Amino acid sequence: MQDKDNSPYQSGRAKNIGRRRLMQAAGAVGFSGTVLGGLLGAAAPARAAAFDPKKYAGTRLSILMIGGEGDERALADLLPQFEAETGIKLEISAPAIGPLIEKTVQVLKADSPSFDLVNYLGFLTTQQVGGGYFDRLNDLIDNPAETPADWDFKDFIPATVDNVGRFDLKAHKKGGNDIYGIPGLHSGSVIYFYRKDLFEKAGLQPAKTWDEFQAAAKTLHTDQVAGASFIGANDSSLTLVDWYTRFLTIGGSLMSGDPNGKDFRPHVDSAESVAALQMLIDLLPYAPKNVTQYGYSENVDAFSVGKIAQMIFWSTIAGQVFDPDKSSVADVTGTTTVPAAIGQKARAVQGGWGTGNPKNSDPAKKAAAWRALTWITNKQVNRYELGKYNIDASRVSAFRDPEIVAKYPYVTDSAAAIASAEAIPTALIDEFFQMNDAMTVEFNKALIGGQDAKTACAAVQAKWIEILRKGGHLT
Amino acid sequence: MDGGTVAAQRLIGIAQRARPRPNADAWLLAGPCLLYLVAFAIYPLIYSLRLSFTDLTAADASGRWVGLANYEYMLRDPLFWNALKNSAIMVTITVALQVVLGVALALFFNLRLRGSWLVRGILVLPMLITPIVTGLMWRALLNPDWGLINWCIARMGFEPPNWLGSVEMAMKTLVLVDVWQWTPFVFIIVFARLQALPQDVFEAAQIDGAGPFSAFTHVTLPLLLPAIGFAAVFRAVDSFRSFDLVFGLSYGGPARSTTTLSFFSFQNGFQFQNYGYAAAVAYAMLLILVVGTTILLRYVRLRPGDSR
Repeated sequence: MQDKDNSPYQSGRAKNIGRRRLMQAAGAVGFSGTVLGGLLGAAAPARAAAFDPKKYAGTRLSILMIGGEGDERALADLLPQFEAETGIKLEISAPAIGPLIEKTVQVLKADSPSFDLVNYLGFLTTQQVGGGYFDRLNDLIDNPAETPADWDFKDFIPATVDNVGRFDLKAHKKGGNDIYGIPGLHSGSVIYFYRKDLFEKAGLQPAKTWDEFQAAAKTLHTDQVAGASFIGANDSSLTLVDWYTRFLTIGGSLMSGDPNGKDFRPHVDSAESVAALQMLIDLLPYAPKNVTQYGYSENVDAFSVGKIAQMIFWSTIAGQVFDPDKSSVADVTGTTTVPAAIGQKARAVQGGWGTGNPKNSDPAKKAAAWRALTWITNKQVNRYELGKYNIDASRVSAFRDPEIVAKYPYVTDSAAAIASAEAIPTALIDEFFQMNDAMTVEFNKALIGGQDAKTACAAVQAKWIEILRKGGHLT
Repeated sequence: MDGGTVAAQRLIGIAQRARPRPNADAWLLAGPCLLYLVAFAIYPLIYSLRLSFTDLTAADASGRWVGLANYEYMLRDPLFWNALKNSAIMVTITVALQVVLGVALALFFNLRLRGSWLVRGILVLPMLITPIVTGLMWRALLNPDWGLINWCIARMGFEPPNWLGSVEMAMKTLVLVDVWQWTPFVFIIVFARLQALPQDVFEAAQIDGAGPFSAFTHVTLPLLLPAIGFAAVFRAVDSFRSFDLVFGLSYGGPARSTTTLSFFSFQNGFQFQNYGYAAAVAYAMLLILVVGTTILLRYVRLRPGDSR
């Protein structure tokens, strides 16, 4: 089990570090890692002696995982190697996010086994891990006969383990020492994408504060290029990415009280909440004309063809934005951490996935499933995903890979964002999606002119209180 | 009764006993069908009814019995009433438009103009597309940035409407697409009936001096009413439970302006994992459908000569 360390990857409470510092740290760690690696390499055989990589050869396993976000392509690329090294056959089932969530619920609740490994969204950790549907993994992690010596649990970014791995079933809340899921296949948070060429031409620096972001949007806006964009559609990322990042970084606090008590109270009607939504409304004149219908793909496509000057977005879009075959602005796009109000730490919501062994999976295959899980979350797979498909890894070592850092400078920003990201407090209860939907609908309505920011926030506050009361989280 | 008769009756009795009982035959033949019905219709109906009285969620698999709480909450839930209103709007407007357009098209094609068979064939194509694909296809066609329809409108010098992005337009767009897809259904039903109308009544009307309009209103339309009624009832039921078109086209938005009851039930069941509440909404839909269809069938004549 890992201990908290002082690395820049320290979870939620991390220091806010600059790119230069991170690069220096990466270089230093890379060097010391090489030296340490040599030392550890000598000691490794003693631990690896009991480990037989082909112990479960001939087993057929199946994994239910997210499709359309790149992971399944990376895994499919590596399957021949996986089969050669382990002798295990792994069948991938990778529906898109909506169908995946529906299917996962059915799979986990079924009496008979269907999948040996299941991928779940970090936002659903409380619901799915907290529902008691996954096996506790601590004994396997600590068992040298079942876990490869070089798998290195401590290498996972602590914030990702906190987000999808640790859960206290008794207290029904995240945290504690019991591990039920392994981060991955990918993680992610929100970073700031901007057009270096346009900023340079206008003599601007990437925005450090939201006032600067708004000013840059106004300055850079033309008929051809929108000064800024955001997710304005009736899409969960409107609230998770655009509103929540602004809310957090101007000092907002979404919930207070204990999610398992009767005092879990929302603060959506706070001044910070209204201000964060108002920021989006104020951006409308400088956003793409149809931004209120822009979801994930519309924004990524528009940015990739050069129609957007700046936006904050899930860091996972880097795969498309920096691919010259898919993006006409690949070589003129820059990234940095999200803006924040003066005195506030730049940070955003923690995204990403976890993978675990369902409790109802075939008991005869559980050990083999763990073997497969350690393989698909190993350092090499993390590096491959990040290097080949620009999918944010869950491991520190991938983000510190000198080759990847040299090729894709944005990964330092991604790493910093993931390390400092915070899990949204509403994800601590089962009603997360319902609450998010209520907020998205009202905020989208405000953006299309149906109501002002204050009214929208008040409506969400009322709806959330109703949901929380119904769920027994608030009296 | 003589001995011969007694012997004959005895023989008949033996033959009857030797033959498999008609009841057993019936059960054997109907068995698979009944099993299918029990497994895929009756059991799910009973299961979901039971579900609607529980608070089953994904996280809490216990599903405690909560009595009528879900139904009680539903009646207080403004989102349920919003979805019911949207469903009612959708059913009323789409069915009315489809009936008017479908009948008009059937009458037009009944003129048997040259080449009409080809146009007729093309006309029914939308009906053959899966509704989810229809939704996605129209979503692409109406895309505000690169959609073909907006491009055409802009090329003609007009400002394209905000098809799916405004509360005012989204329901109209949904209705438009549904009408595009299902008017051919009404057309086919009415056209088939038109082809089968007896000619003697038209000849009699002509002899009695009826003009084209009078013949239409007093002969054609009354004879078509059963077909129109059938098509309307069928479309009303189908439109009321419309889910896939909403899912593919508007996803219930913006601001829940196109959230129908089916979509609302789906959201509660599969997005929010409130299975109990979703089942209650589904049962409310079933109740509305049963009551609505019964009333419709009471007032719509499906066969000529049916009394009202």
